[in-house]
Amino acid sequence: MRRLIVYISAFLIVNTALMANTFSLSFDQNMTDNVFQNRYSERDQLSSLSFYLDKDFSKVSLFTEGNFAYLYDNPSLSYYVHDAGLDYLHAVNEKTAFYFSVIGQGAFYRSDYTDFNYLSLHFLGAFKTYLSPTSILKSNYAFEYKSFSYSLFDFVSHALDVSFDTYFQTRTTIKAELSWGHKYYLHPDSSQEEVIEEGQGFRGGRDSYIYMPRAIYEGKAVQIFSVGGLIAQGLGSKIGLSLSGMKQWTLSGENPFTSVEEFYVVENPSYDRFSWEGFQASGQLTILVPWNIELKMGYTRSEKEFPGIESMDLEGNPLGVIRQDMRDMFEVRAEKDFPSFSVFLSYFYVNNRSNDPFFDWQGNFFSTGLEWNVFFGGKK
Amino acid sequence: MRKSRYVILILSLLIVQAAALGQETDHYYNVDTEKKVRGTILQIVMEPRYKDRSPFLIVILEEKKTKEMFNVEISPVRFFSQDFHKGEEMEVVGSIYSKDGQKNIIARQIRFRGEIFMLRDKHGFPAWRGGEMKLKKKRKGKRF
Repeated sequence: MRRLIVYISAFLIVNTALMANTFSLSFDQNMTDNVFQNRYSERDQLSSLSFYLDKDFSKVSLFTEGNFAYLYDNPSLSYYVHDAGLDYLHAVNEKTAFYFSVIGQGAFYRSDYTDFNYLSLHFLGAFKTYLSPTSILKSNYAFEYKSFSYSLFDFVSHALDVSFDTYFQTRTTIKAELSWGHKYYLHPDSSQEEVIEEGQGFRGGRDSYIYMPRAIYEGKAVQIFSVGGLIAQGLGSKIGLSLSGMKQWTLSGENPFTSVEEFYVVENPSYDRFSWEGFQASGQLTILVPWNIELKMGYTRSEKEFPGIESMDLEGNPLGVIRQDMRDMFEVRAEKDFPSFSVFLSYFYVNNRSNDPFFDWQGNFFSTGLEWNVFFGGKK
Repeated sequence: MRKSRYVILILSLLIVQAAALGQETDHYYNVDTEKKVRGTILQIVMEPRYKDRSPFLIVILEEKKTKEMFNVEISPVRFFSQDFHKGEEMEVVGSIYSKDGQKNIIARQIRFRGEIFMLRDKHGFPAWRGGEMKLKKKRKGKRF
């Protein structure tokens, strides 16, 4: 399977590069005072350079994208991610269409983080139809296979999302969503010999390796279900307000490792939509200010419990309770699009409170970036 | 044995691609006919616009001032990434052309719900991308 992904990806990358229609280049600069998102705040800066190429032929488009990120204070966490894929859109009639995409992806981390290296294959099938001019029904199915250097993380997942929205003359949109997901860990009982020596750790603080497989673990799959809703209101042509909420349950299973954590910008395989249950609510205000600058301000509150993950004290001793986090997040973002390039500036503040003291943290996150597009071929 | 299977797979992909090359288009973006139109969405449809290309999302817009109707050509993939409804307001900047007695706009920029979407560059080259629906990565800074 891994070899097949490599062959297909290599084909798509070379092929797309030779015949590109669109080429875009982007550069982002990110700064934070808490790159590992834990109580021992550690500053870092991350520079990220990405390129994107695509080529349409007939109803199929090929695309490929590469992203290199360098961390100044933690260069061993720098990484390169590349993906290549194709997509196809099929209209059934004027009101209904299907969309399919297949993407091969590889992530390569430097030195200490080679455990995070992976090859993956994604498939997405989407369906959308207008039930009436003001009501939309949508459904997505996503399949993902990921094979990591550290096999404890290997998985196959399926996710199905269905949503319905309707628009009223009061300029109000109401949307309801249902989601189901299933994640099957391929090697949840990886032997502990595969793990990097205890005590080496990826970062300061609790002195134990964090991704140990659990000693007692039954069943290989995690199954989740969620319901969500959104109310959006237009206030004049330049202001939009939206309120949304979602509640997620773990129907069965739990993570096979002993700890779950997120890193800033860098993907951490221990944390994803399957690792928690709880709720999330957010509000967002979008304003188009003078010079056509798009300004977004948002607040998100979440309460999450991580089934199977036990909180520990700062010495690494189990506290006998399941880890629970409460998070408040404020966001401000400004973006300006020019005909050939776009620039943005964003700031986040996060306050995460947890019954695991290691994950009691606050963080400030700044990002700024520039994206430049070049086009080749016909205007079509 | 396994290697030869991969070779066959890649050859098949190349054949399919070669067969699909050499497409021609019907009409082009003309910067000299650019116009800004602000109006209300009356209808949303998917329909073929260019030979052997994916069908386009077309928004039928009624201009506020003149009550004139325009068929606004958005892009193929926006059908999935953007939810337009009848009755919503939209402002479009694009190239106008007439066909079969109907006024059409090839949209370059749309302003919708307080957001601006650039669909083409200033010369009219498409700015949408394949894989629009792919799982979004951490582009343009992290979104928590």
